[in-house]
Amino acid sequence: MKKILFGVYAAICIALLVWAFELAVNAPAEMMQGDAYRIIFYHVPSATVAFTFFAISMAGSIGYLVLREKNAAKALAWDAWAVSGAEVGIVFCTVVLVTGPLWGYRAWGIWWAWDARLTTTLLLWLIYVSYLLGIFGGIGVPIVYIANRIPGQHPGPVFGGDRASGMAPEILRPFLWNMAAWLFWGILVLILRHRFELKQQAIAAAEAEQSLNA
Amino acid sequence: MKKAVAQIAALVPIALLVFALYSLYAAPAEPPRDWRLHMTQEQHDLMVAPIDHAFRVAAYSVTWAIQLGYLAWLGLKWSGLKRVAGRASNQN
Repeated sequence: MKKILFGVYAAICIALLVWAFELAVNAPAEMMQGDAYRIIFYHVPSATVAFTFFAISMAGSIGYLVLREKNAAKALAWDAWAVSGAEVGIVFCTVVLVTGPLWGYRAWGIWWAWDARLTTTLLLWLIYVSYLLGIFGGIGVPIVYIANRIPGQHPGPVFGGDRASGMAPEILRPFLWNMAAWLFWGILVLILRHRFELKQQAIAAAEAEQSLNA
Repeated sequence: MKKAVAQIAALVPIALLVFALYSLYAAPAEPPRDWRLHMTQEQHDLMVAPIDHAFRVAAYSVTWAIQLGYLAWLGLKWSGLKRVAGRASNQN
């Protein structure tokens, strides 16, 4: 039953991604950036998913620290979420760091600028790569969020920014579909990674028990 | 059959990455900085459109290369884990 449900979810994810791609490539062109602005449909959702998964990693790390003395089995389950969240978050953050310069080059004429947003995102990625310092890494997420409000090379927030911020409705629709598609896809990968971690933990526990009995 | 599927799964991200790099490499040259002296805004936009397109294609391709590459790597680790689990159960 679980397998069927997972298969249905995977099929929904793929259908959603195809639909979102279709909307992204057919969205009206932007006046200043032409086709290059369509990178937003992959860049921003990837950032959102990465930050969400880093938050999951942080929650998992806290859960592990709280429970490790009281309930070792539960603590390991939390730890599996911490590792999975960090690893899949890194994958999405890598997408952000690669698609960002591609978009930036077309929009600003430069690949990279050491402004607050870009630098803190790179730092966040480095922290998680060096992990998996879950809790301390999680502190980086609000820092990157705040850095977006600091004037620099990176454009200000599109949502919840000043009066000039916002998105045209014909661009907003494909954007939100892409956001949903990438979130669904991210959860699919996260579940796969979590199952892998649980299996790895089970094998390690069995091996430890075997060594003790030998 | 399983081996062929695994090989394809590993090759797709590499192919996507190569395609992304090729799109950037094959993109037409940028218009000169003083393009306003030589062409109209419409001519400039026509010249720039294929470059923007190449960058968008590269960004989308590299995104999928990273995502599918990670999945392929996870699949490899998973099959390795299954082998370890199989060996452990055989020893018992």
